[in-house]
Amino acid sequence: MQSKIIQLAGLGFTIAYAAFIVWIYATEPRTFKEVTTTAEVAAGTYEINQEKFNSALNFFRREQFRAARVEWQQADPAQRDARTQFYIAYSFYREGWGRLYFDQELFKQGVEAVNRAIDLSAASTLTIDDPDLHMHTAAELKAELEQGLERNWSDVNPLKILRTRK
Amino acid sequence: MTQTNRSRNRTLVDFVVLPFLFLTVALLGGLRIGAENGTFIFIAPPLVTLLLATLLMLLLVRGGLVRLHHWIGSDFPPLTNVAHIWMFITVFFASAQAFNSVLPERGLLHWLFSFFFLWTLWNNQFSSFDARRLLRSLAILFGTAFVLKYMLLASLYSPDGGWLKRVAGTVLQGVALGTLDAPTFAAVTGYIAFFTLALYVAGLILLGFAVNDETAVVTGLSVRPVGDEHLD
Repeated sequence: MQSKIIQLAGLGFTIAYAAFIVWIYATEPRTFKEVTTTAEVAAGTYEINQEKFNSALNFFRREQFRAARVEWQQADPAQRDARTQFYIAYSFYREGWGRLYFDQELFKQGVEAVNRAIDLSAASTLTIDDPDLHMHTAAELKAELEQGLERNWSDVNPLKILRTRK
Repeated sequence: MTQTNRSRNRTLVDFVVLPFLFLTVALLGGLRIGAENGTFIFIAPPLVTLLLATLLMLLLVRGGLVRLHHWIGSDFPPLTNVAHIWMFITVFFASAQAFNSVLPERGLLHWLFSFFFLWTLWNNQFSSFDARRLLRSLAILFGTAFVLKYMLLASLYSPDGGWLKRVAGTVLQGVALGTLDAPTFAAVTGYIAFFTLALYVAGLILLGFAVNDETAVVTGLSVRPVGDEHLD
């Protein structure tokens, strides 16, 4: 009887271990910290670092967009929080926005970030209630970023220097 | 009482320790540590390692290290059969990853090493083997590959210029080594590979001693243990 229990327990334990190995190879974490973060995501206990998020928001409001992004990336290392990804995309938009031209590279990265935010909030429309922002939904931000990436005749319109940043 | 303890310990080794050990080999076999920033790099087993593992499993069966007809049969309880099939799977993936750990990751050397393994394993299919000879042969095979990859080649591709790089530089002046391109990893990768291979060979030795007479303990059937026969 005891042999059966050991066999069953051994099977259960080693199958769980095998699943862990498959998961490790599928997610390819690069550090022990990433291992724990991905495990938290898989277990559904992942939370962003609120302190870092607030600090990033302060940088963002002071127009220090790169510093803000560094803080947000540390606040959400697994890129699993829609709100943080929205703000990262917004920081790319604001930094890349120019009266005469838009920085294409920053706008592209902004589109990637806003797409992540949209994917993460697929169940409902992502709305950010922040009075400092002029666009409150991920869809608006995405449209604005994509428009900035498009090339058309309006680019040569001299009146475009009068446009305002959102 | 002694018989009960023996049976219990054997079950523990066969159904917990050995699969755990082989799965650890499967985990570490594809692990490399980046030379620049010390990050983990997980390399899934290439297709050729699965082929090599298949040939090796055939050898293990032929050499008597894995006795399938004593592991799986209609006379055994279903749980014992399932546990043995699971053990077989873990040995297979551990073998694939053991090859993965000693194969260069890419380039001409990857294919040269693969060919060397294929040739050796294919030739061995037609040689007469017992468990003891097979274990010795496998230890030598993996040991040689380890020395070639982690000592000679690592020295050749060392960014700070190992001794072999200087020798090769002198001998092969003007000859490009581009086709022998290989990624460089942190020195700790060699230690991980050594531990992995040691664990794998130790697992096979333990397998030779333990599993093959286990069915007799679990099911009460009379089976001649492989240890008495081959591992004297």
